[in-house]
Amino acid sequence: MTLRLPLIALAALLAPVAHAQTQPAPTPTPTPGGLVVDVEGGISAPMGIAIPPMPTPEVVATAAGPTDALGRQLAEVITGDLKNSGLFKPLASGQLLTVPFAEATAPNYGGWSAAGATALVQGYVRANGNGTLTVGCYLYDTAQQRELARQGYVLPFGEWRRAAHKCADMVYTRLTGEGPYFDSRVVYVSETGPKGKRVKRLALMDQDGFNGRFLTNGQTIVLTPTLSRDQRRIAYLSYLDKKPTIYVYDIASGRQTKLVTDVSLAFAPRFSPDGRWILFSMAQNGNTDLYRIPAGGGQWQRLTTSPGIDTGGSYSPDGSRIVFESDRSGAQQLYVMNADGSNQQRISFGNGRYATPAWSPRGDLIAFTKIGGGFHVGIMSPSGGGEKILTDGWQDEAPSWAPNGRVIMFFRSTEGGSGVADLWSVDLTGVNERRLPTPFDGSDPSWGPIRAD
Amino acid sequence: MTAATAPSFDRGRAIEFGASAAIHVALLAGLSLVLLTPPKPPPPPAPMDVTIADDVGLVATAPQNVTPPAQSRAPELGKPEDAAPAAPEPEPAPAKPAPAPKTAEPAPPKPRPAPVPPPKPTAVAKPQPQKPAPAAAPKPQPAKPQARPAPSGALAGIVGRSGAGTKSGAANRTPRGSSLGGVMSGLGATPNNSRSTTPKGATMSAAAAMDIGQKIKQQVQPCANRQTNPGPGAERIRVTIRLRINRDGTLAARPTIEGHDGVDGDNARYQRQVDDRAIATFMGCQPLRGLPAELYDVPNGWSNFLLRYKLPG
Repeated sequence: MTLRLPLIALAALLAPVAHAQTQPAPTPTPTPGGLVVDVEGGISAPMGIAIPPMPTPEVVATAAGPTDALGRQLAEVITGDLKNSGLFKPLASGQLLTVPFAEATAPNYGGWSAAGATALVQGYVRANGNGTLTVGCYLYDTAQQRELARQGYVLPFGEWRRAAHKCADMVYTRLTGEGPYFDSRVVYVSETGPKGKRVKRLALMDQDGFNGRFLTNGQTIVLTPTLSRDQRRIAYLSYLDKKPTIYVYDIASGRQTKLVTDVSLAFAPRFSPDGRWILFSMAQNGNTDLYRIPAGGGQWQRLTTSPGIDTGGSYSPDGSRIVFESDRSGAQQLYVMNADGSNQQRISFGNGRYATPAWSPRGDLIAFTKIGGGFHVGIMSPSGGGEKILTDGWQDEAPSWAPNGRVIMFFRSTEGGSGVADLWSVDLTGVNERRLPTPFDGSDPSWGPIRAD
Repeated sequence: MTAATAPSFDRGRAIEFGASAAIHVALLAGLSLVLLTPPKPPPPPAPMDVTIADDVGLVATAPQNVTPPAQSRAPELGKPEDAAPAAPEPEPAPAKPAPAPKTAEPAPPKPRPAPVPPPKPTAVAKPQPQKPAPAAAPKPQPAKPQARPAPSGALAGIVGRSGAGTKSGAANRTPRGSSLGGVMSGLGATPNNSRSTTPKGATMSAAAAMDIGQKIKQQVQPCANRQTNPGPGAERIRVTIRLRINRDGTLAARPTIEGHDGVDGDNARYQRQVDDRAIATFMGCQPLRGLPAELYDVPNGWSNFLLRYKLPG
């Protein structure tokens, strides 16, 4: 007691002195007593943005068309990307001002602001002599009247769409704080033909549904493709030789290699983040468990041993853990374990069953298919909390994450006997559901990472 | 047990002794510091001049200024004369007295018991002279010129203090003699615009501040309402930006980010976007209009203020 009193007294004495000394100091930030205005406001709505056609200094005919037409198309692709994200509301083409080449880097802020654009994306396109294009991309804030970001790309004529996607990624990341995802590709199963005799081909496309191409001819059924992190290989299930097992497709060479041999049934492949392993499921002696095998082939290793079906494994982004589904409790539920199979823990406890888990590239969420009163795509944390159902279709399943962990692609089957499935995407917040414009029906999407340069 | 306890006792005592010793020493040091720094305390008395509009918000306060060493210099610069300075300038003197009465009225609100606190009586006189010096420069008062020479500032500066102090007893007048010109200017006039470092007698009342804050908020709210939420969790971030405003209500400098609350692992990616939205909230709805001109650059005036912004939710 006695000790404390003097302490307090001393503090009281010293405090004012210290305070007085600090006061004269040059403008400390938190001015005590200074004017502070609190404002709260905002909306959950798309941001107004203008993406006018990109001017060209000189109209040149290229293999991809004249440069002035390319300037319009670039703006259209950027507009499509940003609009499809659900976070932007591009001005309609009728509201766009014409941008002379000289104005590309000196925007008419007042005009765009009056037109309702908070942000402005301008640029230019120029044909180079060596068969390449140079595309400049500039992002401006019309309220602050300043440039927020800029990038330039040089690429072959035929890859002009990538310049647009990269420009859109720059804009998106700067204005939303999310990672990029437009310059990425998706591998999926393209479906054609009548229900009883569907033709299923491996297909690869840009994230926006364009530039699609088929990788297999459809003579054998393929399922559950997955793209490696380096985007050079695709692992998938094929019924070649009537024995469903896992193959690896080399994109550059077009060659298919059987990865898991001499087994009756292997399926559900997934690459590890470092690309060295492929996780898969295999039925042996009536018990289905998770295994991993070197991506180049070799001896597999068993990771789970419990009775029941363990399948659908997906690695965490750091490769240290795996989420999978198992019916060991009597119905399909989600479990998380270490990458070596240790420390298995159930994380899903809601009503219904859970299947096809996918670990977010961000690491913070796990997407899944919830079965019970239909099939719906949902998310939860890796520890099992915060479950949220995102879609409400008749049958939505097989979620796959965009490289930024903000958007999820899945496939939706229509009600009734037609059995038609299509690719859809949805924002993490559960809004902005949208069907991808694939040329045919599609299923089993696997979204790859941002493309390397 | 015993072995253990015994030491602990000793230790406890040792700590107590040590603590009390340390505290006493600190206390002494603190007190001596206080004594040594007489200049600081003095300020309080000076509250004076202020002209304030009784109406809204200006209130006369004791100048918070504290140690103005600078003064001494001023005088020196002028003319090194003898201290003699007794009462060379009558003019200044009158001025001060007048204010004093006024201060009394306004002062009440801000009871910085300042007057009392000054441990040193002499101090009273000092404070005034000191302050003026800095202020003096900016304000050209007729008196100044005269004052400087007479003051023999130098003396006053060092020695002067004590001397002044003594004189002070009588009246402020004498002391001023020296550097007073400056003094006068600083104290004298109405609340000035000088945002000089030193505090002025006038400041914004809480009521006026609230009123101005409301007006600013009303004006920028429509722009705040247009800001879009970049993503889940961004609504937990509150950003503080500093705005420097011209007299005409336009922005005088690019807003600066002063700090954030509510940033966590899940929403950190949106921090920069919330910053952008806070700035856009102001930029989109400036210039500010209808704010009281007289409260523009008083201390805590609206020439420079903080805006804290967050998304709803």
